[in-house]
Amino acid sequence: MKILVIEDEESLMQSIVSYLKGEGNICEMVNSYWNALEKINLYSYDCILLDLTLPGGDGLKILSELKKMNKQEGVLIISARHSLDDKLNGLEMGADDYLVKPFHLSELKARITAIVRRKSFSGSNVMSFNEISVNLLAMDVKVNDKSIILTKKEYDLLIYFISNQGKVITKNAIAEHLWGDEIDMSDDFDFIYTHIKNLRKKLIEAGAKDYIKSMYGVGYKLGNI
Amino acid sequence: MKLAQRYNRANLITSFIILAITGVIYYIAIHFILTSNLDKDLVIEEREIEAYVKNYGILPAPGDFLHQKVTYKKLTSSQTVERNFSYDHFYNEDEKKNEPGRSLTTMVSLKGAGYQVTISKSRVESEDLVQLIFAITLAVTVLLLISLLLINRFLLQRIWSPFYSTLGMMKAFNITQKDEIKPNNTTIDEFNELNESAHAMAIRVRKDYHELKNFTDNASHEMMTPLAIINSKLDSLLQTDTFSVAQGAIIEDIYTAIGRLIKLNQSLLLLSKIENKLISDIQTIDFQELIKEKMIQFQELFEKNELILKQQLEPCKVNMSKYLADILLNNLFANAIRHNIYRGSISIILNSNMLLVENTGKTDQLNYKLFERFSKSAGSEGTGLGLAISKQICNLYGFEISYHYFENAHQFKVKF
Repeated sequence: MKILVIEDEESLMQSIVSYLKGEGNICEMVNSYWNALEKINLYSYDCILLDLTLPGGDGLKILSELKKMNKQEGVLIISARHSLDDKLNGLEMGADDYLVKPFHLSELKARITAIVRRKSFSGSNVMSFNEISVNLLAMDVKVNDKSIILTKKEYDLLIYFISNQGKVITKNAIAEHLWGDEIDMSDDFDFIYTHIKNLRKKLIEAGAKDYIKSMYGVGYKLGNI
Repeated sequence: MKLAQRYNRANLITSFIILAITGVIYYIAIHFILTSNLDKDLVIEEREIEAYVKNYGILPAPGDFLHQKVTYKKLTSSQTVERNFSYDHFYNEDEKKNEPGRSLTTMVSLKGAGYQVTISKSRVESEDLVQLIFAITLAVTVLLLISLLLINRFLLQRIWSPFYSTLGMMKAFNITQKDEIKPNNTTIDEFNELNESAHAMAIRVRKDYHELKNFTDNASHEMMTPLAIINSKLDSLLQTDTFSVAQGAIIEDIYTAIGRLIKLNQSLLLLSKIENKLISDIQTIDFQELIKEKMIQFQELFEKNELILKQQLEPCKVNMSKYLADILLNNLFANAIRHNIYRGSISIILNSNMLLVENTGKTDQLNYKLFERFSKSAGSEGTGLGLAISKQICNLYGFEISYHYFENAHQFKVKF
């Protein structure tokens, strides 16, 4: 994946880029309106992360420039503006998704993966991790070509893990991803445990290795053993 | 009462009173003139009789001629007659009927004897005249009043139409929409001035609104950016190395604190947005449907504490923002779960004009000011803003939210 990160906050940009890099992903970064326009004009990307408040101009203008140029890039707006108008404006102008700061990097990665998959014409609707493969159109999960049945939450959880393979995902991020950030249950995420336990059990029973590990009590990781 | 109606009423009452007074004066004046005319005729006849008596030494023949009658009556020597005008009846020989009359009674002396002379005249003609004049006056009065009424109704309506059009635009004015107060097509200065003022005010209000919106947006951005950086750095930190469980616990505590700070900041911004009425996506919300969705969303949390959930949902549609409806329900349900006891119960009752959320709780009746900002029970992990936000949402739409403690259960009731 080739990703352009348009963000004026240097240290936030560094975190995003270091998280997204690797596994064949290439990240480029720009921190101002004019630099962003230049990059867009010269190159093509799979996905563009767009901050709305930039030095030199409004991020939404970049979006309309992209549409004018008839570019097919997926655009994910990352903004601190938690206002409904901005969200609707952005989506109306052709953005693919809108993520409000602050966000978890794992959430960002999952959203980017989803956008790129939707945008790609080659039609790769299958996500896989070793012997586990997920057909996203049929919502069918296979382990060694044998279908297994997951609940909606377990299915979402598996896709979230595969999107963030090799990364530690916090319980907090998982809870927000599955239940929405409006459920304010910051005190206790034990209820996530049941879903993870069930998912692990189903995968192992179907013959997969035990890829999901608990990490220091903070979160979980799907990774090669 | 409408201005035109009040104006009409005053106008009609004054017109009527003035016309009535004029009518009365008119009547009296004409009556007076006609009577004095009659009296003059009677006096002329009296002089003629006196002259006749003087010249010829006899009384003229009593006569009934041209609505005028003269009669004589001999008086005894002791009797005298006071000269006097009076109203009485006049018998019309031709038409054989009594008519109103005017008489002059006087006395003449002939050869030492006194005679009472009565000269009578019919008043019928002058009475007819008075009646005719009265009728014409009445007709004119009625005509005048009717025309005044009609003029007021139609002319005023037309004159005031620019006022109503400006008023209509002001009523329809919505701060979040772009339609303006359009200029009036009128030559009346007052209405033009009103329209211009309304127009200027709309522009000013909209400008203030945008400044306020920008301010909240900027505040949100400024505070959220450092929080976003901390959050992303923690996420990055987790990927860098292997940590011990003790280190993990510290990181988790930092996550929790950051999470609360983010939540707090979001809640404060939301509160100011609601107070400034900056949320406008009003639509019809099917609460029955929404509550069912929430029940699924919250399912794990109910199960975790083995809460018993009772529902009694009837159809209920409310016009409000979807975003705020979500937040209202989230807050009420999250409270009911958070402050519940193990194996406690939650019951949700919804009908067309009320939502009741009732839960068993760790404490007895709550006495502190629940709906105020940052008021929370000891040991609560919440922001202390949930109920304040709920209250603001209810205020925004004119709902009524209240708390009761009833048979060991905490009840929150929202009346739509």
